[in-house]
Amino acid sequence: MKRALILTATALCVGSAATAETFRWASTTDPQTMDPHAVSSAPVLGFLNNVYEGLVRRGRDMSVEPALATGWEPIGEGEGWRFTLRQGVTFHDGSAFNAEDVIFSYERAASEESDVRSWFAAVSDVVAVDDYTVDILTTSPQPIFPDSIANWMIMDSGWAEANGAERPARDEENYATRNANGTAAFMLSERQPDLQTTLVPFDGWWGEVEHNVTEAIFTPIQNSATAVAALLSGEVDMINPVPVQDAERVDAADGVTVIRGIEARVIMLGFAHDHEALRNGEPNPFGDVRVRQAVAHAVNVPAILQTIMRGSAEEASQLVSPAMRGYSDANADRPALDLEAARALLAEAGYADGFGFDLSCPNDRYLNDEAVCQAIVAMLAQIGLEVTLDSMPVSNYWPELRADNFDMYLLGWSPGTFDAEHPIRFLVHTSGERLGTWNFGGYSNPRIDEMLPMIQSEIDDGARQAMLDEAAGIIQDDMVYVPMYVQPLLWGTGEGVSLTQRPDNFFILRWVTMN
Amino acid sequence: MLSYIFRRVLQSVLVLLVVGLVAFAMFRFVGDPIDNMLGQERTMEDVERLREQLGLDQPFAVQYWRFLEGAVQGNFGISYRQGRPVAEIIAERLPATLELAAVSGFFALVVGIGLGVFTAIRRDGFASNAIMTLSLIGVSLPTFLIGILLIYLFSVELGWLPSFGRGEVVQLGGWSTGFLTQSGLLALILPSITLGLYQMTLIMRLVRSEMLEVLRQDYIRFARARGLKEKAVNFRHALKNTLVPVITVTGLQLGSIIAFAIITETVFQWPGVGLLFINAIQFVDIPVMAAYLMLISVMFVAINLAVDLLYVAIDPRLRSEGGTS
Repeated sequence: MKRALILTATALCVGSAATAETFRWASTTDPQTMDPHAVSSAPVLGFLNNVYEGLVRRGRDMSVEPALATGWEPIGEGEGWRFTLRQGVTFHDGSAFNAEDVIFSYERAASEESDVRSWFAAVSDVVAVDDYTVDILTTSPQPIFPDSIANWMIMDSGWAEANGAERPARDEENYATRNANGTAAFMLSERQPDLQTTLVPFDGWWGEVEHNVTEAIFTPIQNSATAVAALLSGEVDMINPVPVQDAERVDAADGVTVIRGIEARVIMLGFAHDHEALRNGEPNPFGDVRVRQAVAHAVNVPAILQTIMRGSAEEASQLVSPAMRGYSDANADRPALDLEAARALLAEAGYADGFGFDLSCPNDRYLNDEAVCQAIVAMLAQIGLEVTLDSMPVSNYWPELRADNFDMYLLGWSPGTFDAEHPIRFLVHTSGERLGTWNFGGYSNPRIDEMLPMIQSEIDDGARQAMLDEAAGIIQDDMVYVPMYVQPLLWGTGEGVSLTQRPDNFFILRWVTMN
Repeated sequence: MLSYIFRRVLQSVLVLLVVGLVAFAMFRFVGDPIDNMLGQERTMEDVERLREQLGLDQPFAVQYWRFLEGAVQGNFGISYRQGRPVAEIIAERLPATLELAAVSGFFALVVGIGLGVFTAIRRDGFASNAIMTLSLIGVSLPTFLIGILLIYLFSVELGWLPSFGRGEVVQLGGWSTGFLTQSGLLALILPSITLGLYQMTLIMRLVRSEMLEVLRQDYIRFARARGLKEKAVNFRHALKNTLVPVITVTGLQLGSIIAFAIITETVFQWPGVGLLFINAIQFVDIPVMAAYLMLISVMFVAINLAVDLLYVAIDPRLRSEGGTS
């Protein structure tokens, strides 16, 4: 009898060891499509990075490394880039990868139906030199082009054509919405939107396998308390994110670890630069740089980080974090907390008695966004500013900002290209059809507008950095925005799981090992 | 009789139209779906084009009319988030909600009647006082909290039951059921208790007070005097006479169990229509929100209509007004 029991126990152990490599993970948002060109959002692109690959990819430290291209070099004096493609790569369905797929994927991703077409704004043509060489021609020199296409994923032209998915589907479904045929280390084996998505390793992958996952199951869990419970009970092996306020408790639990890092997202305050009047009808003081500087000196960022972010975030001095390319070391200091100086600046600007205005704030977009705004209201009260908090769900927030219905607002920005040029293009350049599309406050500076195309096309790294330094200096001196902190990343992992957390918050399955 | 039915059906249709109108008037306050559908690098031109494509540039009366036009043909449009026909998504999600509602309704009825009878018979016992007190706590705690507490106790601490999801499901035609697998049945336990707890307390209190009332009646005393067994008196004579109001209330509560499954489904990541609706609100997925609200109001209207018609069948006084039937 005893022996029988022992045998059963061993069998059970063996059984669980064999299934131990099924990796389960959960996150708040389900990737809404499996089409890599239909939606440009972090949940979609992050998930699909496990299934599709681009010509280049980002490594553990975000550096750009070869993927479907083995090398690349500029053509002439900035006429474009020549990519040498990897040979012997096959898609998950077995068809071979070559230049035709690259051209097809360019046409697909740059089409009007695509949500990622802005990556190709400067591309004039893509030409196959031979089966494994592709020239991407640009209208102006594009020094960081290879960096900017790390998420441009290559789709098999034959597969897409055979299944009628030649163009991304945005407001209806096509074959590529729920099926995938990429070249990456994992294949899509089952897709149930909103419920469960299963990946299995692709045996024919060209790269060197570092993971030991035999099956990976993703489940969206919206409620963070439920996700934490699922992690603690061992039902999932990884969750993203762990709520800031639960991080310590989760970390203290047996076998569970919280991996902390910082994201690429900088949280900042924006101003109504060009409004005639505030929402309460009074004249708008935020056109005056001294008022904006006063706000910067009054916001106690270290206190916000310590209390609301529980020490998980880092202070920010400019619109990008230090990990980004083009970060300006010369402008690394953020305005110090100095209430005296803030009051003096207000007095100088003619507001010695302060004034009242509204702070617009989302309450479901960034980590603890509403709590941060409440803290800012209290901090600004100390220099005589009477702030009314107007917080709302993000679905209402962007329309309000677009309608210029704000005085001061909270914004987070994560540069898609991981380069300092990105926020200048979208947040600082004079607002227009393609540029400055998120510059709600209407800041306008001819020098910035003049420099942006120069930054975009400067091939020499030193000269480019000099311009980025100048731009960062202008933005800081004019206090266009008050950058506050870089948002933290908090992932929770179960026992025996090791993985790599990348600052873009992408979860890369091929770096997972389970013991 | 016929004209009465006709009038009631007409009223019901009117109610549905008004619900739809109010819903569409409110969607504009839920936010703008465009920002959720386009990435941060979109141009203003993209925004305008998509808005036009979806018909969101039209006044809400026009949007509502278009929705009605589709709805009467059984076409509820295409989900902004998933890009699939809404009718298909709802049909996929509805079994999860209906199974959960059925199990919690059953749980509420059985446990509610059992405890109600018990607390009525032993009205001054320690156990029934304890049950009554606990039931007060049960009603006053919000569903969300009860769900989380159950998860922490039974999933995290004891490890007996799953904390989220529906377990393994089996497809029977177009219906996905969790009744046929062990993991599916285990997954039903916590959400059903969470969802049914309030109804259970309600039924328990109702049965108890009805029971107390009935037990005072003369025929019960006579039954006792005749020397009938206590069991027969309590269950054959007393309980039977308390059930009419209980059945009415339970029937009406079934509608609210389905409608209030939203919170329970969110806590347990239960893949039903309630969770779908919450997702839709966050994404401003107007076609899904509209279809869900219509579905729920059709359900309530149908239940009320059925109840009204039943009353007519039972109570002759309601018929005379209609005239010649």
